[in-house]
Amino acid sequence: MSDSSIEKAGSGLPGGIFGSGTPTFLTTKVDFVINWARRNSLWPMPFGTACCAIEMMASAATKNDLARFGMERMSFSPRQADVLICAGRVPYKLAPVLRRIWDQMPQPKWSVSMGACASSGGVFDAYSMVQGIDTIIPVDVYVPGCPPRPEGLIYGLMMIQEKIRGETLGRHSEHRAESPDEVGRPHADEFKVAALSGPFGNSTRQNRTSGLVPASRRERPGDRLP
Amino acid sequence: MTDESQPSAFEGIEGEGTEIDASSARMPEGIEKTHPSIDPLGARFGDAILRHEVSAGDEHIVYVEAERSLEILEWLKDDPDQSFNYLSDVTAVDYGGDRPIQVVYQLYSIPFRRALRIKVELPVEALEIDSVVSLWQSANWLEREVYDLFGVRFRNHPDLRRILMPPNYAEGHPLRKDFPLRGRFSRAEQTRRALEMDADDYYVEAQLGPGREPQLVPWQELGGEPVKKREPDAESGDGTKEEGP
Repeated sequence: MSDSSIEKAGSGLPGGIFGSGTPTFLTTKVDFVINWARRNSLWPMPFGTACCAIEMMASAATKNDLARFGMERMSFSPRQADVLICAGRVPYKLAPVLRRIWDQMPQPKWSVSMGACASSGGVFDAYSMVQGIDTIIPVDVYVPGCPPRPEGLIYGLMMIQEKIRGETLGRHSEHRAESPDEVGRPHADEFKVAALSGPFGNSTRQNRTSGLVPASRRERPGDRLP
Repeated sequence: MTDESQPSAFEGIEGEGTEIDASSARMPEGIEKTHPSIDPLGARFGDAILRHEVSAGDEHIVYVEAERSLEILEWLKDDPDQSFNYLSDVTAVDYGGDRPIQVVYQLYSIPFRRALRIKVELPVEALEIDSVVSLWQSANWLEREVYDLFGVRFRNHPDLRRILMPPNYAEGHPLRKDFPLRGRFSRAEQTRRALEMDADDYYVEAQLGPGREPQLVPWQELGGEPVKKREPDAESGDGTKEEGP
């Protein structure tokens, strides 16, 4: 390519950094470039199961516009997603689905647990509910709230961007690698999960192992014979 | 609300400048205080009709014997003077304390615009009742739900299996009063069992019609057998993990 073709037509001035007499390359760190690219094009995989999903949709819509921060489009295929947003409560029946979607996402990947129910089970300390998705998949950022405002979710995603900024290629494979043995397995170990339900919680008739506390039969005066 | 001695819910609430007529808050005149199906039911089935209750002003509840419930419901559907041709709900109530579990049929007659609630009481030791899928197709999933959550077995149901809880759920029937709120297993066991579920165990690829793409269908709905899991390919050795016996 000759210099004359890069010169702005008729001006006689060199055409920017690609022009003659100026550097034609930049020096930087590989980590910086890769992290810059990764954190500015995070495609979320929306896993919305409840009211948190409404706020997640609001975050992506006009007023809050998640695309400003690089979450250009919701990726409804886990194969093309970078960050999983679990928005809402997850029952045990959905747990294998969540785990499978997480396993299907390519490396590198991050995850956000949005709202009280996804983070801890919330008020649903019941037989059907996963007590926090961190028993199922690894979680990078917990966004508190019931549901969190869109600003909260955006802040959570920007925290993931901050986390990516601090990653290096050298350590990256270390803390993101998952062995094939882990696929489909619970993320937390047995003792951690068992400790999730407090001894009494919201039920005075249950003990820690979820057995009924022995009680006399006609204990409930509120019961009415039909 | 039709009881005149009951105070109206609107009494004592006086809006500014608006007079609330207490009588307008009550049931309108001409509401059915009797139900045209009650007397024919008693005349036809006699002792099988156990008792009759009125709830919430105009909701008529008839308790019937469990053994003859199918016969009574069939008559209510097919008799031209009743024609309860729409079954809006089948559900159940457990009052706890060894009291019987009630199976509730919420009927509606579209031609006569009448509703009727039929209740059947089943002792907790013998939770069995005839299915009404042969009368109303809408009972299919509703009865599965009652079976799933209360453990009532419906005789002659075409496809009686769990509908809400996972297929491998082994803790019982969650809406029973004697069911502990957090389930019978520990959280760790529940998590382990949940993640043990694999879609491949419950779905097979099937073509549901001519010219249609093959899609995943629960094998139970095809009346088939669970598919055997693929044996790990020894040659490729690509790390696909196999579980199970």
